[in-house]
Amino acid sequence: MKALLNKEFKLCLHPTVFIYLGLVLMLLIPSYPYLVACFFLCNAIFFTFQTSRENSDAMYTAMLPVSKAQAVKAKCLFAVIVQIIDLALMAGVMALGNLFLNPLNPGGTDRSISFFAFAIILYAIFNLIFFTSFYKTGYKAGSSFLKGAIGVWIWIMVVEGLMIASHAVLESGNTEIPFFRFLHEYVDIWPATNGAWMVQMILLVAGIAIYVLFTVLAVRISIRRFEKVDIT
Amino acid sequence: MNILEVRNLTKKYPGFTLDGATFDVEEGCVMGFIGRNGAGKTTTIKCMLNLAHADGGQVFFEGKDLLANEAACKKEIGLVLGMVSYYQRKKLKTITEVTKQFYDEWDEPLYQSLMKRFALDPDKKVTELSQGMRVKYALALALSHHAKLLILDEPTSGLDPVSRDELLYIFRSIIEDGKHSILFSTHIISDLEKCADYITYIKEGKILCSTDAESFKDAYRLVSGESEDLERFREQLVGYRSHAFGFTGLMKKEDAERTAGLKIAPADMESIMIYTEKEDGHESAAE
Repeated sequence: MKALLNKEFKLCLHPTVFIYLGLVLMLLIPSYPYLVACFFLCNAIFFTFQTSRENSDAMYTAMLPVSKAQAVKAKCLFAVIVQIIDLALMAGVMALGNLFLNPLNPGGTDRSISFFAFAIILYAIFNLIFFTSFYKTGYKAGSSFLKGAIGVWIWIMVVEGLMIASHAVLESGNTEIPFFRFLHEYVDIWPATNGAWMVQMILLVAGIAIYVLFTVLAVRISIRRFEKVDIT
Repeated sequence: MNILEVRNLTKKYPGFTLDGATFDVEEGCVMGFIGRNGAGKTTTIKCMLNLAHADGGQVFFEGKDLLANEAACKKEIGLVLGMVSYYQRKKLKTITEVTKQFYDEWDEPLYQSLMKRFALDPDKKVTELSQGMRVKYALALALSHHAKLLILDEPTSGLDPVSRDELLYIFRSIIEDGKHSILFSTHIISDLEKCADYITYIKEGKILCSTDAESFKDAYRLVSGESEDLERFREQLVGYRSHAFGFTGLMKKEDAERTAGLKIAPADMESIMIYTEKEDGHESAAE
């Protein structure tokens, strides 16, 4: 697996991965739906898969002493590593940003642990859709990305939409809707109070669990599908 | 001992079926895998190594099921599918650096000597190489990890005669120790005349025969006769070509021995293939 990962980083990695990782700085934009920054990283993963296809990576890998299953695992693991690096950078930028800037964000989710959990779930959704769709053929990167992007954008719109709505509703003086009050007081708030800490940590653990579950499931389905693919 | 056993390999595509390919490759031998373009040579090789998903059949490498032990078996196999077509914008040294990590048996001095012998510059990108040089690079990679079995799909196509001759010499020297084997698909029959011990012949997805090169040639005779003989022997001819003075054709050895009045000569591999492949068995000079 080490040799395969070395191949992913030395031969397959698309240089835009670094540019898109740099977009974690978008988390410092005042009043912005920050989950959009995570969508950009999905682009970098798509570019890497597409570059692999253009360079006959599957054919090259098939000649190496690895099974098809290992080839799938390595490529997915590459994406996971990039996502983890992105999340780590994001945590750093969020912490740093909150030292100097107001963490509250009327344009979407605040820079909070909840946001971090939502970002993790976003990658989980992308992995489940993109990997499984790509490995159905081993070459349809574009349409797989489109499907993944639709899933990701639905998630962004739901999460950011709810947070924006809760801000807007509460600011208008209507404090009667309990769900929006809950969002505003426990989920979309930073620094967190004791109760909010608990809620946000539960969200984080749930996010990580969803990520692991979806990604493992995605890899398993992808392996099964790719076994049937003829490499040309 | 057989290093490779292919049993009943089947793959259906729309318009083409690989129909129960069965053959063995013996240790210490060069097996020539011949057939026309589209006969199923590459499909067979791809199905053998799980690049294409076979619909049926089994492949054994050193007695082990290759599919069940894919990674371990591939460590002992060097595969060249034509010229290098991957990572065209990468330098050869970058591809080599990545590739050698996969093999415990990687022989760097051997690799360096092959690069020198093939006049390959490691700082060049794949896209800067000619077709022949790309084949040579693929071969340098495949030869440098001491594979017990080399599977080469059209390795000599695109090479100049000097390089081809050099390569055939290298093939012979690889199998000299009796432990290495080569399966070598080609439609350049003259290359096989020089180096193959065994021949497997595939036509339209079916293995016609798999035997040693001498028996393969000895099973047939080239015959020639005058036009009036043609009618008498037409049934026995595998294929023939008629011309102004008569005809030349191919017959099974036992048929040729029973004929009288025809000139009989030993058959070469190229003639066997050409006459066997003629669609309706014959061609006249006027056609």
